[in-house]
Amino acid sequence: MSIATTDSAPARPGVIGWIIGLARRSPTFALGFAIVLVFAVLALGADWLAPFDPVQTFPFAVLKPPGGDFVLGSDGNGMDVLSRVIHGSRYAFGISLPAGALMVVIGVPLGVVAGYKGGVTDEVLIRILDVLRAFPTIILSLAVVAAAGASLLNVVLVIGFLDSPIFARIVRAEVLALRSATFVRAAVAVGNPPWRVMFVHILPNAIMGAIAQLPVRMSWAVRISATLAFVGVGVQAPAPEWGAMIRQGAEFVISGEWWVATFPGLALIALVLGFNLLGDGLQDLLDPRRRATGK
Amino acid sequence: MLILRFTLRRLLVAAPTVLGVLFITFMLVRIGHQDPVAMLAGPMADRAMLEMIRTQLGLDQPLFTQFAGYLWRLAQGDLGRSWQSNQPVLHEIIAHFPTTLELTLLSVGLGAIIGVPVGLRAAFRPNGWFDQISRVVSLLGFSVPTYWMGLMAIFIFFFLLRLAPAPMGRLSLEVIAPPTITGSLVIDSIAAGNWEALRSALAQLMLPVSCFTLIAAAPVVKQTRAVAIEILGSDYIRYARACGFSPRTVRRIVLRNAVAPVLTFIGTQLTSLLAAASLIEFIFAWGGLGHWGLNAILLGDFAAVQGYVLTLALFSVFVFLVIDLLVLLLEPRGQRR
Amino acid sequence: MTLLSVEDLHVHFVTRGLDNRIRTARALNGVSFTVEQGEIVGLVGETGAGKSLTALAAMGLLRPPAMIPTGAIRFDGQNILALPPRELNAIRGVRMTMIVQSPLTSLDPLARVGDQLVRMQQQHSRISRAEAVKRALAVLDEVRVADPERRMRAWPHELSGGMAQRVLIAMALVNRPRLVIADEPTTGLDVTVQAQVLDTLRDLVRANGMSAIIITHDLGVVAHHCDRMAVMFAGTIVEQGRVSDVFREQRHPYTRALISATPKRIAAQGFGQVGGTPPDLYNLPGGCLYRDRCGRATELCTSAPPLIGIGPGHGVLCHHAAEIPAP
Repeated sequence: MSIATTDSAPARPGVIGWIIGLARRSPTFALGFAIVLVFAVLALGADWLAPFDPVQTFPFAVLKPPGGDFVLGSDGNGMDVLSRVIHGSRYAFGISLPAGALMVVIGVPLGVVAGYKGGVTDEVLIRILDVLRAFPTIILSLAVVAAAGASLLNVVLVIGFLDSPIFARIVRAEVLALRSATFVRAAVAVGNPPWRVMFVHILPNAIMGAIAQLPVRMSWAVRISATLAFVGVGVQAPAPEWGAMIRQGAEFVISGEWWVATFPGLALIALVLGFNLLGDGLQDLLDPRRRATGK
Repeated sequence: MLILRFTLRRLLVAAPTVLGVLFITFMLVRIGHQDPVAMLAGPMADRAMLEMIRTQLGLDQPLFTQFAGYLWRLAQGDLGRSWQSNQPVLHEIIAHFPTTLELTLLSVGLGAIIGVPVGLRAAFRPNGWFDQISRVVSLLGFSVPTYWMGLMAIFIFFFLLRLAPAPMGRLSLEVIAPPTITGSLVIDSIAAGNWEALRSALAQLMLPVSCFTLIAAAPVVKQTRAVAIEILGSDYIRYARACGFSPRTVRRIVLRNAVAPVLTFIGTQLTSLLAAASLIEFIFAWGGLGHWGLNAILLGDFAAVQGYVLTLALFSVFVFLVIDLLVLLLEPRGQRR
Repeated sequence: MTLLSVEDLHVHFVTRGLDNRIRTARALNGVSFTVEQGEIVGLVGETGAGKSLTALAAMGLLRPPAMIPTGAIRFDGQNILALPPRELNAIRGVRMTMIVQSPLTSLDPLARVGDQLVRMQQQHSRISRAEAVKRALAVLDEVRVADPERRMRAWPHELSGGMAQRVLIAMALVNRPRLVIADEPTTGLDVTVQAQVLDTLRDLVRANGMSAIIITHDLGVVAHHCDRMAVMFAGTIVEQGRVSDVFREQRHPYTRALISATPKRIAAQGFGQVGGTPPDLYNLPGGCLYRDRCGRATELCTSAPPLIGIGPGHGVLCHHAAEIPAP
């Protein structure tokens, strides 16, 4: 009898091989990854890829429709929309990456400690989560940024802080399930201190759900920061931030100059979609129910 | 009796949450880089005047005393005065709330009517063509910013196609508004028999509600699908299949068991969309609570901001309570989820 | 008359791992047995031997990633594997019913016990609600549920494990099936309750001339309640025959190890050897699947073992069956 394991792909070593493997199993993941990659390239190479300086004005080319020198048209200040859209990806990553890092750095340890220690720590965390759940994130972040001042740093801090409870909750749930697992009890029994049990033994096993959630929350960060800028309390025009650009374009929509608001919006949607697909794909890949096993 | 006891218990459980909510709204003003006293007094005020206002507002007291004072005034229904309108904040909230509620309830209702069947259908054939399409569409719904969708809708349906009226509020300028009874123009127009106002109100609602419905439906599709898939994988559905129940009966069991979790989710949707309404209202010059609150935030009208955020938070506490009561009625055991 | 026959049934699970390799778990590897009219057959074996899988296949309940590359299942003259879903639903729940392992989670949590019993009947025949309620009460009484009227109004979460199991038995019997498949019907119940539940089931099957398959890992259950038995190992039936014959003259080394591990034997003879783990279904060796754990394995065992007849209806899948003396 032959061995019943067949290779459909030769195993490639390292991170690249892993990503290719994931992409093959989940087209969703692959598409999301590709979109995010494109924007990452745009952000890194904006200075070379953009045809113009994003804040250079052409006084005689105000509100030119797409085509000609200005591929995506020009805005009310006579700035090139395409260049501004390309540079806008820097703001998107510049906010979502540190905000995402902040969410993880605050949320994950909180979740581990609350889930493992239980008792008062857990009770307090749950209460805080309940309180924050009662507030709509959009309005709370708007109000806080408006009150604290519209700086890039404040936007990152507010988004990072407000979203960290989500990570705390996910990690807490996983830790709770693992707390009485045999390997944890074994780790305790051989005399590991609590912090070591929590962060060396439990955390690596509880982190997957949070990892899959990260792209989704980063897409949220991109959206919220654009919303703040659109309303006028985040990054301010003429900085080439997508939300701020949509704000600039909003007044022209009603008179038919659609391109100023449309293109930054499309870029925003594409990147948010990319992050969401990435997260969705990851969740599918990590969901044990989709990895059915024989009985 | 059971319901009364349950409500009381839930209110007790909600009490710390409400206290936390109040504390956060109270702190909102105090983290600011702007001094509310300076803003109130205006640029002409001198130092003595500033001190006087500060004492008047109690801002020179310790934080705890201030918080207690804030709670005491709230208990008496005093949410302070908006300095834009010089009206009591409570009056403004009561005046603006029905407008936003009308918009939000319509959109969430329509979103649920569309989203639940789509999510169910997708769940019954996971990874089939319908599931794939609904997944892409709902991902788009997740990704498109509310305000951008509003702008595009205005461009296409107002500017290009001339199908929609100008995005200038809730009623055409040529139409006489019906007397305010509930605050919902649709209901008030019907009550007054003012058909012209009704037609205009519905026409004005068309675009914002359509945009908002799409945004409301997307998460409902996703959640319904997830809930239904979880139920489809449960022991009792496997058992129902082993009993040879027809696909229709199996679907009915799934549906019945999905009601409570989906309803709970729609409740959370309702509260977050009540907030998201501010952006749609902003675009369509709607003049509801969201529009009013957003303006207050932008202008630094602190009492109004506090009032707005507090309203949203208390509304969500209230909605969760109502939903939990409904679930209690729908499910034989109260603690399920 | 043969009611159910399973012939050379193979079941594979085809999955794709995180590393993107397609993996095939060969869970059933040529299972053949029959259930005669009025007979109770016990399927025994360790966890993962394929007992439940065999039952699911017989009910036509396997879904991807499980697939059946070869094999035939005939129930009452019908080919289960070729039937369209609609006709399968006309068999499942009426002529062939199942008692599942987890009674508390298997009942619809949002329907009262009575409504579930009525639904079970109305799904399969045009019966009035009043008539269905009457029969439901009668069946609950048969399975010795005290105060059936009150139980009819109970929600599943109000039932104890034993009570829920009785309700499941009532569900399985209410349509008077020809074959009842009980998949580890007593896991999670107290020992005393286990015996009562199984006695009830056996008596009702006998009294109504039904057939039954009882899936268990408890040889005591087989000895007390079954007419014939089949011992499963790694997706094959290594020995089958009348219960008395197998217990008296078991020839397969695995059967022998199992029987010597029952409490009574251990008390009398000390521990035998049932050591070892089940073989890796993803990577099955050729030849006899038991040879790694077998004390008698020889060079011969690397080739597929033959089915050797010991007595009437008593067969063993082993090269050395003839050499092994009766115990």
